[in-house]
Amino acid sequence: MTEASAPQVLVTGGGGYLGQRLARRLLERSDASVVLWVHGRPDAPPPPPAALAGFGARLRMAAGELTDDGAFAGVDAHRVTHIVHGAAVTRFNVESELADRVNVDGTRRVLALAARCDRLEHLTLVSTVYAAGLISGEIAEAELTRAPRFANHYERSKWEAEQLPRELAPSLPATIARVATVIADDAGGVVTQRNAVHNTLKLLFHGLLSLLPGDPTTPVYFVTGDLVVDALAALVLGPVRPAVVHVSHGAEASGTLGDLIDLAYEVFERDPSFRARRLLKPLLVDAGSFELLVSGIDGFGGDAVRQALISVAPFARQLFSSKHVRTDQLRALLPDHQAPAPAELVRNSVANLVDTRWGRATA
Amino acid sequence: MTDVFVHDFALALGRHEHTLEESVAAGRTHSAAQALREAGFRRHRTAGDDESAYDLARRAVAPIAAAAADAGAIIYATCLPLNGNLGDEARFRATRDVKHLMDFPVSHLQADFGLDRAAAIGLGQQACTSMLGSMRIARALLRDEPELGRVLCVSSDRFPPGAEYEQAYNLISDGAAACVVSLAPRGYRIVACHHITNGALARASDDETVGTYFSYTARLLRETLAKAALTPGQIDWVVPQNTHAKAWTILARLLGLAEDRVFFRTIADIGHVISADNVANLIALEAAVAVPSGARLLLPMAGFGLNWQAVILEKV
Repeated sequence: MTEASAPQVLVTGGGGYLGQRLARRLLERSDASVVLWVHGRPDAPPPPPAALAGFGARLRMAAGELTDDGAFAGVDAHRVTHIVHGAAVTRFNVESELADRVNVDGTRRVLALAARCDRLEHLTLVSTVYAAGLISGEIAEAELTRAPRFANHYERSKWEAEQLPRELAPSLPATIARVATVIADDAGGVVTQRNAVHNTLKLLFHGLLSLLPGDPTTPVYFVTGDLVVDALAALVLGPVRPAVVHVSHGAEASGTLGDLIDLAYEVFERDPSFRARRLLKPLLVDAGSFELLVSGIDGFGGDAVRQALISVAPFARQLFSSKHVRTDQLRALLPDHQAPAPAELVRNSVANLVDTRWGRATA
Repeated sequence: MTDVFVHDFALALGRHEHTLEESVAAGRTHSAAQALREAGFRRHRTAGDDESAYDLARRAVAPIAAAAADAGAIIYATCLPLNGNLGDEARFRATRDVKHLMDFPVSHLQADFGLDRAAAIGLGQQACTSMLGSMRIARALLRDEPELGRVLCVSSDRFPPGAEYEQAYNLISDGAAACVVSLAPRGYRIVACHHITNGALARASDDETVGTYFSYTARLLRETLAKAALTPGQIDWVVPQNTHAKAWTILARLLGLAEDRVFFRTIADIGHVISADNVANLIALEAAVAVPSGARLLLPMAGFGLNWQAVILEKV
């Protein structure tokens, strides 16, 4: 196969946790070349990350701003055969306008690029299971055509982005991959990318948060980075390419918010410094009470407490939304995948966070 | 078990009144005026330069001196250890004689009010919870030594010159409180007392103090109610410390206590009077409503140490 005829995968969000891992997986397990697109100046893309050294000309870097019409000026559309669009602002407290510009308008620009890719075989739009907003009950692996209520602008913008392929490019072979919360790299619990869940656990460990919003019976959906990369790579490599897939475990293989807190404190208690402080588990309060706490934020504490509350507030309402995420398409996509025991995954992940002091020390 | 009662509550405050804005402008706080205002604080009181914690204690005891007459014990509590000594530290440094560090205000109080029969007991290291701690110890004393008859409980604190009048995001007043605990069925029967200490948090930062506030306060209240074999619905009024107004809304919801029965109306005018808040609010409650016989009051308090104490009272 000549270089020009070999598959070429454009991975946006190449500077992020999943983008780089996906690139490595594709380079290692296929003959595809990869264009790793990162946030930056189009005329000065950065060198390949050290973790991806050694793949020579099969890896090319490109850069741009999703908010600019020229975002993909550095990409040769005629060579791209697959696109995995993972670039997004994923903060739960993202501002409305920024979420619109990056997550919604950015997806529009990716679709415009896709329209110019005459060899394009498939596009994967990386989304989130929380694009279902505050819907409770069964969440099917199907388009969410009716706008639900959302807990934050991140969820809302991802839902809006999901509508775009149908509206702008209905004939495009595309998959929406709704990813659950990545709690660890692998089932062993190694954590190299920290998100709101990890930060909340940190605040609890340090005794800075004694109230949490939520219902203890609400399922919480955690996956490993390995599973996400397996799923995204499988979508690129085919042949199974559903319209929508949940990269998540089902409720039967997931724990609840109450389980998460219990397991976290079980692991915290193994740490002598935590045990000595005799900190109590947080109290789970109703949404109104937590909003009251957040609304009084300036009178309840200094910067640490303020940051704690601000970090939890944007996903507070999600912790009352009992979703049952269907995963039939994922099982078809990855028939050999075995979900790790949810309690063990949480225990291992929390233990890694405690041992490394949330990445500041070596485990 | 012998019933013990508490009655004849009194309060004395530092003589200078300041608005929140005046104190923020004068550098007596580190939080912004808006944050403290949202918490419910409007004014507070500071002692005059010539007004000691002991002066405040005398002023608190004076109106109830008759009720305290012939007390078998005085429990004199301070939050700040320095308020438990009337001696002059400079004289200690000059003379190296430690008696200047042992000039106890409780002894002076006994003498000044002619409480000749009273054993003098100082109570420290319970921070803002020390008035409730005094009630608890008084009850135990009276049960063990009923011949004491009555115990005068006093708590008094003023911040030293130059101190910030803000602690853990609360606007502070200098002040003293007093009450009489006795075997006479007057005022309120002490139904239950409870005290939790987490010494591992003795050096907790303000954020750690706030961070543990809700979980430990909820535990305190649940355990106190359990001791009294009462449910939250059987509490008629919560008479708490003067801390962020929203904190009590949240706690009331969490514990199933009636939000409109949490009475801390003094917060606006006097802020957090160290260990005197419960007494201040109880006096204000009695002034505002006719507390009926049989009504149950829950008095909780959190303080450095970290300590959490609560008392349940039942109106006689």
